[in-house]
Amino acid sequence: MLEVSDLCKRFGALEVTKNVSMRLEKGERRVILGPNGAGKTTLFNQLVGEIIPDSGSIKVNGQEVGDWSVEKRARFGLSRSYQQNTLFDGITIGESLGLAAAVSTSKSMWFWKDSLQDADVKAIVRDTAEQVGLEDNLGARVSDVSYGIRRQLEVGLALATRPSVLLMDEPTSGVGPEMIGAFHRLLGRLSRELTIVIIEHDMDLAFDVADSMTVLNYGEVVFEGTPGEARESEMLQQIYLGAWDDA
Amino acid sequence: MFYQTPLRTAVLLLFTLACIYAAFTAEYFGVEILTEIIILAMIVLALDLVAGFGGMVSLCHGALAGVGAYIFAIFTAKLGLHPLLAMGIAALITGAVSWVIGTICSKTHGIYFIMATLAFGQMAYSFVFESSYLGGDNGMAGIPRLDLSMIGIDLFDSKQFALLCLACLLVAYLFAWRILTSGLGRSLVGIMHNEKRSRALGQNVVQIKAQVFALSGLILGLAGSLSAQHIMFISPNLLSWTHSGEALVIVILGGLGTLIGPIIGAAAFVLLKHEVSNYTDHWHLIVGIILIIVVMAGARGIYGEIEHRIAKRCAKRVQKEQAPKQAKEKTKEHSLSHAGLKKEH
Amino acid sequence: MDISFWILQLLNALQLSMLLFLLSVGLTVIFGLMHFVNLAHGALYALGAYIAASVAASMGYWAGVLVAPFAVAVLGLILYQFLIKRMRSSGPMAQVLVTFGLIFALLDITRLIWGDLALALDVPELLAGRVSIGGIEYPVYRFFVMAVGLVALVVLHLMLTKTQLGAMIRAGVDNDKMAACLGINVERLFFLVFCVGCALAGLAGAVAAPLLSVVPEMGVDILIPTLIVIVIGGLGSLKGAIVGSLIYGFVQTFGAVFAPQLASVMIYVLLALVLVMRPSGLFPAKGG
Repeated sequence: MLEVSDLCKRFGALEVTKNVSMRLEKGERRVILGPNGAGKTTLFNQLVGEIIPDSGSIKVNGQEVGDWSVEKRARFGLSRSYQQNTLFDGITIGESLGLAAAVSTSKSMWFWKDSLQDADVKAIVRDTAEQVGLEDNLGARVSDVSYGIRRQLEVGLALATRPSVLLMDEPTSGVGPEMIGAFHRLLGRLSRELTIVIIEHDMDLAFDVADSMTVLNYGEVVFEGTPGEARESEMLQQIYLGAWDDA
Repeated sequence: MFYQTPLRTAVLLLFTLACIYAAFTAEYFGVEILTEIIILAMIVLALDLVAGFGGMVSLCHGALAGVGAYIFAIFTAKLGLHPLLAMGIAALITGAVSWVIGTICSKTHGIYFIMATLAFGQMAYSFVFESSYLGGDNGMAGIPRLDLSMIGIDLFDSKQFALLCLACLLVAYLFAWRILTSGLGRSLVGIMHNEKRSRALGQNVVQIKAQVFALSGLILGLAGSLSAQHIMFISPNLLSWTHSGEALVIVILGGLGTLIGPIIGAAAFVLLKHEVSNYTDHWHLIVGIILIIVVMAGARGIYGEIEHRIAKRCAKRVQKEQAPKQAKEKTKEHSLSHAGLKKEH
Repeated sequence: MDISFWILQLLNALQLSMLLFLLSVGLTVIFGLMHFVNLAHGALYALGAYIAASVAASMGYWAGVLVAPFAVAVLGLILYQFLIKRMRSSGPMAQVLVTFGLIFALLDITRLIWGDLALALDVPELLAGRVSIGGIEYPVYRFFVMAVGLVALVVLHLMLTKTQLGAMIRAGVDNDKMAACLGINVERLFFLVFCVGCALAGLAGAVAAPLLSVVPEMGVDILIPTLIVIVIGGLGSLKGAIVGSLIYGFVQTFGAVFAPQLASVMIYVLLALVLVMRPSGLFPAKGG
């Protein structure tokens, strides 16, 4: 479903992505681990086209998307959420989800009818809001709601585009334990058809949801395997997991 | 997001009635001022469409209206086309020119967007200024007005011409309203609030911006052809960048991003200009100082300020009614955000 | 057309470029450092011309040329304290509008003080007359304008590259937050640069005054060419300002020779091209 081969990117002398390759089957849930500065977010930015890699290829569903624009990749089904909330501050939560839903139903360029009043769009907004727990906040302005709700919206926006590959960048960063639980349940309810890549720092969550794991360090893939293998791997124990357990 | 609130509709109706009243009661000079206000209102309406809802601060909207005026003049005075047809052509060509400008400029942001639009406006200005075919510095005279005598309307009567302009303004308003409440307009507002996220959602940012810019150009073309008919003479001065700047000033004074606000702003601006010039020659000094004060005070503008105050009062009343329920939600929210904060540090 | 004609055009182009350089360098460095667009820069230039003309009328040309930059710098100081400082964090639209308001206000203030009639400033005796080069006679005063521009270029270049202050300004242009972290008093730097930029605008007005008639609109007229120069050159860089000025001067002058009808359109086409191909100008202060 998602196939990355030999992706490389350097900023001056700094190699942020070194020959990164990975291959995800349809419906696979991959967790990406790695210390700060390992190049996880930079990898996401390259996958969605916000940063252009120096070399390598990115295929979604067999289609090479490496030279496509951000928006074309998104419309093709590659959707992402951001580590730092990147939201529409001046409008409401319902309207935000509506904008995303309008793109996925090809109604965002209608120039006569209202996309936000469209039945299909409304249905997606309702479903998505239920999925991420925002049913009661649809009328609230994004700038007025709490950080936790903004975090839910961050994931909601990515979901409302009805992606086939979903990239989530630390969806639970900065939220409390009850919301991590809620996020866990959300993942449980998402369709198994959806291919998901998650950058995650919460180890319990990561090991629970992952079908497979990739560990990045200094821009390089240092481990790839199942969560079970990850637990066994002594190298990972020493370098990463041990250090994280203390944190 | 744009919503045609009852307040906006009420103000629009009030404005329309005031215009009709003025058209029937004012003497000749007053009706001329009324027509000036209405045509200017169309230009600033078009500007608010892109600046207030797309963040595209254009410094070429005055020039584009001038382009519309010249195209109308060419097709009527030079090529002898029927004025009605020429009006349509002027709107379409100005829309097309706007689309090209919008496509190119949409790739730039902030101050570069402003400069880029300024460049295109000046390009049009210099072109007209240098063109001997278009009369150069001397402009063009002998522009006809639309002939509606068939249906009993005499547009050489300044009152009836003013009412025609008013009808065009209302059509332009309905058009802008429709655009802003369409998928395209919704997407545009999203892009204004967060362009990066809009791209990530799959929005075709450049196309959306360029299309609304083009639709705004349609209104400008219509406004331009009306202003050519109004004075029946045009000069390159119409395209001068200070006109575009003035349009931006009016949008701010009236209330950016409210659609009806700039129309009120146009009326206030023109009336104030004529009032002030009765006492002093230094109108620019006064408008300059007002502009500085308005922008530094937060730039809500006349209508924006009214709407803001009413919204605040309503919010208070709602809060009072729902006080118990709200309080409960507040604490829930608070604990959530608190949890969020704790984890972050 | 013989060789002397081309020399004449070349000199005209250079002279126009140098005048524009004096104006644009202040504007561009202010932008590079403070991200502030001062549309009223042209109005300050007009004020410089007026002040120079007034002072010169009673005390002679040189007094006028010396007083004008200082007077305009003082005005810049006042503007900075009351307006610019507060507008720094606002978006580009608010900045454009406030300085647009300033243009209006300053335009009428010059009218109030000096009236609508054009003032004239005579060329001083020392610089009167013409020199002959390659068979053409060229006014000495125009050479003087070029020399002032060249001196300003050299002095600014040396100041930016060789002095501590210059290093701080370059650090500020590159990354003002980082510069502040390194202990540079960015606020004072802004203030200083703003005043120097204003002084340069005043100087440009003073030296330009004898070449043109001094009218209230001269500030608005020069603004657009100045903006074109800094956008083509790239906002924030000295190199951009000089290259942009030369491009503008030459396109304008030689364009008028080759295609008089298209000369003024050409420069806007060039500007649009630069904006499309390299949106941040030819030599932006920051990489990328």
